[in-house]
Amino acid sequence: MQRRSFLSMIFAIIGSISLGSLAYPFLKYLAPPKAEIKAGKQTIRKSDVGDAKEILYQNTPAIIIDRPGKGLIALSRVCTHLGCLLDYDKQKKRLICPCHAGIFNLEGRVVSGPPPKSLTVIPLKVEGEDIVIG
Amino acid sequence: MWQKIREGLNLRIGLTDLVDSSLKEHRVPSDTNIFYTIGIVTLVAYFIMAVTGYFLLMYYVPHTDHAFSSVQNIMTNISFGWLIRMIHIVASNLMVALVFIHLISIFFMGNYKKPREITWLAGGLLLLVTLLFCLSGYLLPWSQRSYWATTIVTNIPTAFPVVGEYLANVLKGGEAISGVTLTRFFSLHVGFLPPVFMAIVGLHIFLVWRIGLSVPPFSKSAEEEKPWTEYSHTTYAESYPFYPHFFMKEVSMVMLLFAIIFFIISFFPTMFIPEAANTPADPFKTPADIKPEWYFLAPYQMMKLIPNKFFGISIQVIAIFTFLFWPFFDTGDEKNIIKRPALMGAFIILLSVWFALTFWGRYS
Amino acid sequence: MRYFCFMIIVVILSITVPVSAGYRELFEKEFLSKPWSSEILEESACVECHTSEAMPVELRSIPQEWQLSWHYQNDVSCHDCHGGDSTDATMSMSHKRGFTGTPKYTEVPEQCGKCHIGILEHYIESGHGKALKETGDGPNCVTCHGAHNIQQVSIDIINAQRCSKCHSYDRAKMMKQALFLTDEKIEKIDEDLKQLRSKGVYPEKEEKRLFDTQAKFRTLFHSIDVARVKSETDFYTEQLDSIEADVQKTYDQLAFRRKFSTFLMLIFAGSWIVASYISKSYKD
Repeated sequence: MQRRSFLSMIFAIIGSISLGSLAYPFLKYLAPPKAEIKAGKQTIRKSDVGDAKEILYQNTPAIIIDRPGKGLIALSRVCTHLGCLLDYDKQKKRLICPCHAGIFNLEGRVVSGPPPKSLTVIPLKVEGEDIVIG
Repeated sequence: MWQKIREGLNLRIGLTDLVDSSLKEHRVPSDTNIFYTIGIVTLVAYFIMAVTGYFLLMYYVPHTDHAFSSVQNIMTNISFGWLIRMIHIVASNLMVALVFIHLISIFFMGNYKKPREITWLAGGLLLLVTLLFCLSGYLLPWSQRSYWATTIVTNIPTAFPVVGEYLANVLKGGEAISGVTLTRFFSLHVGFLPPVFMAIVGLHIFLVWRIGLSVPPFSKSAEEEKPWTEYSHTTYAESYPFYPHFFMKEVSMVMLLFAIIFFIISFFPTMFIPEAANTPADPFKTPADIKPEWYFLAPYQMMKLIPNKFFGISIQVIAIFTFLFWPFFDTGDEKNIIKRPALMGAFIILLSVWFALTFWGRYS
Repeated sequence: MRYFCFMIIVVILSITVPVSAGYRELFEKEFLSKPWSSEILEESACVECHTSEAMPVELRSIPQEWQLSWHYQNDVSCHDCHGGDSTDATMSMSHKRGFTGTPKYTEVPEQCGKCHIGILEHYIESGHGKALKETGDGPNCVTCHGAHNIQQVSIDIINAQRCSKCHSYDRAKMMKQALFLTDEKIEKIDEDLKQLRSKGVYPEKEEKRLFDTQAKFRTLFHSIDVARVKSETDFYTEQLDSIEADVQKTYDQLAFRRKFSTFLMLIFAGSWIVASYISKSYKD
């Protein structure tokens, strides 16, 4: 009897440690995701943009384009094919990939070439003289 | 404080009486072996699946464009998302293994016999539901492996003449695996199957509790031999109470289950996620060497071997029916399989054929 | 009764099997020829004709060479370079369908440059490109890479045998040396990323960054300007270091995962042992 109650006590301790260490990751999982916290907004002066400006948004190269007649848009510059960085071709109003000639229009959609998906469009808001990205 | 709550509950629902009558006075035979605990361990594995499943649902998006990336998001960005998904994956495979072990041990000990036929039938149905869980859950990460393995498995029904094509198309929601299939399988996996599983498990456990555990046929203090003419809870020559004797045994086995899960996650993390599971699904590129999961390998290999596919699938359907209704065919009184060499031989041959087919399928 | 049922099933089966034997072909068509059972062989008018007996021998081996190439592995087919319509045998080589045929020697760079834009730019400015333009006889893409059996490139494409076909190997050797360290680093990170994939990680972002860096670096090489390669090496080293740091972070994360779940394993194994002792103590 002595032995059993001793064992039971040990089991109570070790069992609660086990359950506690298992519950910990589950509680952490519920915390707001890191990406959301990091997704801070970025502000850029409108006058700095001009026709187009290459920026770094959350460590990903992106570009803000002032489309004639259609307003501003912020697009990821990473080609959805293999990840080369796109160049902005102002004359032909398109983004072109130097690696395999993937071509995107200024809405970020694929016009031709191997890319399988559209470009990620980054939310953008104009507040007075500032452009808020994110 | 604790005392007060207990008294209050006693007053209202008769707690002590309930615990005494359903747990402490519930007798189990004293010569049970380790296989008697597998049932509850399987149920615990199911609850692990359910809990980790709820957590995965918080971030999973059932859409072809987002499914893969949302799973990757869980694996890399969400804190401890990897642990929850890994537990879900490993526990699911262990659960299938546990169901198999449970069934095989019950069969081997002849415990499906009168009065436990319905218990066996419910158990067999639970195996089928578990496999459906696997099949539907498998597609959800929308990886190369899930896409192509599902393509293989959902093609098997086409072996039925006339209705086969229709069946396969209903399952897939179209000619090929697509976004429709994904949402179909998703709703099956999280909406339809869990309540079905819970209902059958409820029946299964009720029957086990109501009839009482059976005594292993090999033990000396065998169950009292008497024809089952009217209902009574099984009586035993030697027994002990369910709580705490048998209960502690179950608890230790559950702890072992957790230890095994974390052992696999620590040392064999890629056991159930090969490289094709880390690549987004591409309907235009068939990966080399794609295989169904291990529990579908034997039927898959059999379909490949038998030249007439209808014959192949008929054998499987008949096998499933024979398996489900086996207690109604095998109604003799003899429980001890050792005294029944024919059944034992057939059983061992079947098992070895299953293993052989699985290994053949794996390494061919 | 139950034996009767069983017999009925057996009888039904033995009747239906021979009847359904004719169904077998249909089934095999549906079940075995679906893409998962074997590679889909694209039915292409180009390949069909070019492999036929009617074709001159030197043109007959083209599909085979192409099927060994890096282009083939990446789904780049005949019409992507030569134009035309591979789905329509009679019109496949019609200029109306954009067929361009074999380019002239001096026009090869433009044909390849339809896709490899960045490389074309650097090539045109290079000594190689200028020579081709001025004399019509300099090296074009095919000189080094071959035409149909084009393989994935490595630094070993620069070797004494290939370069000394036209000029001395000395300058090429200097180029190779300038490229060597960066190239080695690229290879190493590539290996690490492959490792990560086999360990259950999907390092898409790093893979894309590496590809971008590698592609830019290879493009730069086509200028065959040793001084320029040397001066820009720092930029690439920096890029690669940052990718490497991210890869290292993932490795650290994997190590942490293993430690954490080993801890969980041990503590649950402990619980198991204590619980089984308790359960034994009830039996005594």
